[in-house]
Amino acid sequence: MKRIFTISGLVLLFSFFIITAYAQNIAIKGKVSDAATSETLIGVSVTVKGTTTGTQTDVNGAFSLSAPSNATLVFSYIGYAGQEVPVNGKSVIDVRLNAAQNELNQVVVIGYGTQRKIDNTGAVATVKGADIAKQASTNPLSALEGKVAGVEIINSGSPGSSPQINIRGMGTVYGNTKPLFVVDGVWYDDISFLNNDDIENLTVLKDASSTAIYGVRAANGVILITTKRGKAGKAVINYNAYIGWQAVTNQVQMANGTEYATAINELYSENGVTPAFSDNPAQFGTGTNWYDQILRNAFVTNHQLSISGGSDKYNYNVSFGYLDQDGIVKTNNYQRYTVHVANDFKVAKTVKIGFTANILSGSSKDIDGGIFHEMYTAAPIVPVFYNNGAYGDPADYNVGGGANYNPEATIDFFHQKSKTKQLSGNVYGEWDIIQGLKFRMSFGGQLAQSEVRGYDPIYFATGGQQRITSSLDVNHTENRDWIWDNTLTYDKTIKKHKITALLGYSALKNRTSYADAFADSVANAASGNLHTSFPSGTNVNLTYPANAQFLTTQLSQFARVNYSYNNRYLINASIRHDGASEFYPNPYGWFPSVGAGWVISNEDFMKGQHFFSNLKLRASYGEVGNANVPINPSLLTVTNDPTQYTAIFGNPQTANPGKSINTVVPPTTTWEKAQGTDVGIEAAILNDHLQIEAEYYNRITKNAVFNIPIPGSTGENGPNGGILGNQADIKNDGFEFTLTWRQQVNHDWFYSISPNLGINNNIVTKVLSGNNPIYGGGNGITNGSLATRTVQGSPIGEFYGYQVVGVFQNASQIAGSAQKGTQPGDFIYRDVNGDGQISSTDRVNLGNPNAKIGYGVNTYIKFKNFDLQLDLQGRADVSIYNANLAYRFGNENFSQDFYDHRWHGDGTSNTYPSVNIGSTANSAPNSFYVTSGAYFRLRNAQLGYTLPGDLMRKWGIQSIRLYANAQNALNIFGYKGFSPEVGGGPTNLGIDANVYPLYATYNFGVNVTF
Amino acid sequence: MKNKKIYLNAATGFGIMAALLFAQGCKKSFLNATPATTTVATQFWKTQNDATSAVNAMYADLHNWNDIAFAPIAIESMGSDDVTKGSVPTDATFMNEYNNFTVTAGEGQLEGFWTGMYNNINFANQILDNVPGISMDGSLKARYLAEAQFIRAWDYFRLVRAYGDVPLRIHVPKNASDYNLARTPKAQVWAQIQSDLTAAAAVLPTTYSAADVGHVTKGAALALNAKASLYLKNWADVVKYTNAVTALGVYSLFPNYEKMFRTQNKNNVESIFEIQNMLIPNNPAASNSQYSQVQMPRVTEPAGGWGFNDPSPSLVAEFESGDPRFIGTVIITGTTTPEGDMIDASAPNPYYNMKSYVPFDEYVSGYNQGCQQDKICLRYADVLLMNAEANNELGNSAAALASLELVRARARAGNAAILPKVTTTDQGALRTAIYHERRVELGMEFDRYFDVIRQGRGAAVFGPRGWKAGKNEVWPIPQNEIDLSAGTLTQNPGY
Repeated sequence: MKRIFTISGLVLLFSFFIITAYAQNIAIKGKVSDAATSETLIGVSVTVKGTTTGTQTDVNGAFSLSAPSNATLVFSYIGYAGQEVPVNGKSVIDVRLNAAQNELNQVVVIGYGTQRKIDNTGAVATVKGADIAKQASTNPLSALEGKVAGVEIINSGSPGSSPQINIRGMGTVYGNTKPLFVVDGVWYDDISFLNNDDIENLTVLKDASSTAIYGVRAANGVILITTKRGKAGKAVINYNAYIGWQAVTNQVQMANGTEYATAINELYSENGVTPAFSDNPAQFGTGTNWYDQILRNAFVTNHQLSISGGSDKYNYNVSFGYLDQDGIVKTNNYQRYTVHVANDFKVAKTVKIGFTANILSGSSKDIDGGIFHEMYTAAPIVPVFYNNGAYGDPADYNVGGGANYNPEATIDFFHQKSKTKQLSGNVYGEWDIIQGLKFRMSFGGQLAQSEVRGYDPIYFATGGQQRITSSLDVNHTENRDWIWDNTLTYDKTIKKHKITALLGYSALKNRTSYADAFADSVANAASGNLHTSFPSGTNVNLTYPANAQFLTTQLSQFARVNYSYNNRYLINASIRHDGASEFYPNPYGWFPSVGAGWVISNEDFMKGQHFFSNLKLRASYGEVGNANVPINPSLLTVTNDPTQYTAIFGNPQTANPGKSINTVVPPTTTWEKAQGTDVGIEAAILNDHLQIEAEYYNRITKNAVFNIPIPGSTGENGPNGGILGNQADIKNDGFEFTLTWRQQVNHDWFYSISPNLGINNNIVTKVLSGNNPIYGGGNGITNGSLATRTVQGSPIGEFYGYQVVGVFQNASQIAGSAQKGTQPGDFIYRDVNGDGQISSTDRVNLGNPNAKIGYGVNTYIKFKNFDLQLDLQGRADVSIYNANLAYRFGNENFSQDFYDHRWHGDGTSNTYPSVNIGSTANSAPNSFYVTSGAYFRLRNAQLGYTLPGDLMRKWGIQSIRLYANAQNALNIFGYKGFSPEVGGGPTNLGIDANVYPLYATYNFGVNVTF
Repeated sequence: MKNKKIYLNAATGFGIMAALLFAQGCKKSFLNATPATTTVATQFWKTQNDATSAVNAMYADLHNWNDIAFAPIAIESMGSDDVTKGSVPTDATFMNEYNNFTVTAGEGQLEGFWTGMYNNINFANQILDNVPGISMDGSLKARYLAEAQFIRAWDYFRLVRAYGDVPLRIHVPKNASDYNLARTPKAQVWAQIQSDLTAAAAVLPTTYSAADVGHVTKGAALALNAKASLYLKNWADVVKYTNAVTALGVYSLFPNYEKMFRTQNKNNVESIFEIQNMLIPNNPAASNSQYSQVQMPRVTEPAGGWGFNDPSPSLVAEFESGDPRFIGTVIITGTTTPEGDMIDASAPNPYYNMKSYVPFDEYVSGYNQGCQQDKICLRYADVLLMNAEANNELGNSAAALASLELVRARARAGNAAILPKVTTTDQGALRTAIYHERRVELGMEFDRYFDVIRQGRGAAVFGPRGWKAGKNEVWPIPQNEIDLSAGTLTQNPGY
């Protein structure tokens, strides 16, 4: 005891000694002035980096303080670019600060180059890589949620999956709604291979004039991402890590054992089935809570180590990342390793070359996609296991079809693993030909392979869950894409004229190939149930489905001119000529754009005022195309789908593949072209404390590819039984507002609040062949009934069905109604046309799944060494369809809410139907299932603490920050299902049939910079 | 010097860009990209293999969902007194609408059946329009065309008795003006059916080699022609065609009625037209027939199915006592089937369809239950009964009794105590006996509903469940089709 005390005491003394030995403070004084005007600046914050020591400049712009001779002083002042000056033993330090007109002098990334924000006339939003890395999301897009007005992110939740992203509404029905992702100049459809920590900068190009330079892939907006590169200077090592857990939030309660038995008794009696299901429902008590059984709190950890540095001649950035994320469903796991390497070399005075490489290796243990529906419907009266260890069998409880499974058995006997390996990146060279003229060539692409391996063993769990033969299915996808870009840029400033001209040429090729191998009776391996190859001698069925192979090419030329006069008047114009193989033999299209701007605050008549530090008006117009339509729509092809057209002949029988034509000659199809107009105003007032950005946009998709159904007697059987052609116009228009308030209260306190709001209206304005509606949204609806209708004058995929006006209470009410075949407890539908019967002509519009309003509020507070970030986010004026309620074929369970409010006798409810909600009459798409999908939530909350610099410096560490983070911890919504974030394609958006539950992530992390 | 270098550099830079921008070279061909696995229509219909592939596609389509599962159950079976909906009461309640004649034009199976038939007709038309142009073996070409004619006639046969007047499309549509055909009067459709069958019968072989079993035969064309004539009440033609089938000398009645429908006895001596299905090893996706699955007993074993289209008490009561055809038609819940499967008493329905049933031990995990079960669409017993009925209508009671007795004798299987020989020569009584025989011989074979209607007995037999004369002889035209035709298609009266 005594000894320990003595030793620790010595250690303390020793460290004290060391600290005091290092902390040789000296007195420093100086003056801070404006670099341009030489005016002294009052109230400039001067702090010693890494400490809380600091002061402010006085009325003469002078300051004095004492600091260690090897410290760094940090000068910061709103409206000016900050500076850091090492003391290096000096006792007088004078500093000249440059006025930064906020972000306006900063440079934004635009297509094929950069531009000063002040010169930009389009709608461009930038998100710093640091803001993305701060989020606990494993995918960069999830981290964007709520940060940019007009950008809607819908998360699916499962580990390793990419969220859905819509920029300014859905502009297509058949095309792909994904925006174009450009990462370091290489085009992608999906960026889940990127590690958030490797992103330097993410820019969203929202309006047509900014995206037109990308021509044929730009209709849904463009997201530009640059990954981190090295910077000249000493090597900097960063280590970021967090660990945490994910837990389900807003859990839907299901009926318990007794309630389930009572409900099924009612179901039997309403359908005239005898005897009753159970003569004593109370015996079942609480029963099994399947959600508790199958879901868990899931562990997640993420680590990233990066080293970057360089000199004038070269720089490098290398990073390694590791992610291990369990899913909230048991056995689900996703693991990912990423490597990022970026190098730039200045090989000669005018020539620079470099490369970027991103490597990903990911693997996941997958879960059965139907498990969510199983948890929702499994009978609570069935125990998970019997006392003897066998699985609880629904057959023993007469549960029957519809819920004839034990979800635990589903989880235990599902063996599927996915693996992905991907290499992507590019190589480039830049040549400064003459002053201002630069030529750049880059060649990039990706090589990706992924494999999904699923093994079904021989097993017995329950009567309905067993296999007497095993099988192994392996499918293999390979992507090989390349893109070759060449640009010539000329920058020149002559007196008040500033001009930048760009000329470019680009070619690309994307190829996806897919193969599937399947074999029966693959014996269990000795060590377990999984396999790495088909055992020799196995008869393997290998297929290359024609509709899963893709090959597209593109050839483009483009040009752009940016001109600004006296920093006041701006004109930007671009044009792109694209040829895309999807529309061969008419593959070409022209995509022009023009934008104009007026920086009012730089005008002479604005010189005297101090209210506006910036005021700018801008307007733009552009045309972009969407090539992501079903491949080669104009080509008449032969179908050879082996699952549909394999004929059997012979004795013994043999399989004979068939091929024929089952489509009619399609009309010539060309681009979907979107014409977008954007008008905006940007202002910074109150000494740059408040920035405002507001705009109105209008985007019309012309020649939208639409499938017009044709009479069935043609025998034509296309993807949806119709002809695909350019047949419609779709309009998306709306407003976006973004405010940012920033204030450095004093040198301890800083805060900023940034709310943003996007309002979008979606409508089909014209369909060439008249009022032909397209019905969709049948997935997950009982009997495959179609719940959405897309027709001229309405939004895409609007819910369409019967209007419920009550519930039949008794037989006499039915006798006097238009629905004579129903029974008490069924929905009363409105007889819209008053013809005395309910038929398909009595259907009405029920709701719009395209969200009208999306908003976010991002706040940041800094106090001394603490920082707090609160991000709120929400959606409003959106409808979703709760398909789970009626997707019933037998004795599925009910939700607690439904059970508590159901009709179960005359007068018990006039809003909820009886337990017979799954009947054809009640499960038909109707207004009961359509509810508001609005929600509000605390998307992210992060509290961080940066350790004092004094301790750090002696270990050679620049900073250590610790933080605690909660994502999705607080969700407020009225929807009775699991999560109001329900995605889907254009004609089946918002239908909740099998949605991954909402979960919160809590984690603790550290950011270390050496 | 420096200026020169600058200009040289600039020129080089522009030169590179110009070369890239204006190089014509491989431009357009670079954009002609089709994945290797896609066949473009302009490269099809060139070789014998293409013709064979097209014929395969046409046959394969016969066991697609709309052609063999739910839609035929709704349209061709549910209306009759032979069946009840089946499964649990809350499952697919729209089937009840066919059983009690409350179905309206918007019901989904109407559209499914319509499009299923026309899709198959399209495959036949593709062959008939395109194969003549292929240079290939002459007799094989003629045979393929005859097969297409038969299949097309088969599809139109099913359409015309389901909906009445239907658009008669006998060529592949060439442009948009061809898409919207009006309804053709059914007399014309019947005429086309019979002319196709007559032409096909002249070309099709009587039998095939072992490798080609499953392709349609001369006997099939003759038998279907007999059936068409039966619906048209051309009794003389019925007798002519049925006698021609017998004269081929290749068909006889399979001795064991129940075993006739088992997978071990595919394409037996009694089968005339049979839709071929198979459990293809290592290929569950292509083994897509759900014909058996939707009707298999709804038991909890994995081999169990959905339990639809069950024998009704009325059908059960129709069998004479001791008739072994009863056990070959009806599975009784709570008992063991002749193949040894115990149907647990807890199954929700009292009876299940024996003719579509596949023994549980033939089930393979991952495949549709009963995907290997064939569907016999025409068999010799039906030919004999058509012969008996037509002869009776013509007054040839001796010939009628002889054909009828052949069918009963097979069922009797030597047991003199059951199924007494029918001897009455009274046309009315013999007619009743033949109608009864059709019901117990062809029960659960998708024949009864339209059979009773063509016999003129719809109101008498189905009236109690709501069948109305002047309306329910046919089903409504699918509302979706009427909408798509913008009114060119008209609805059937009463709907």
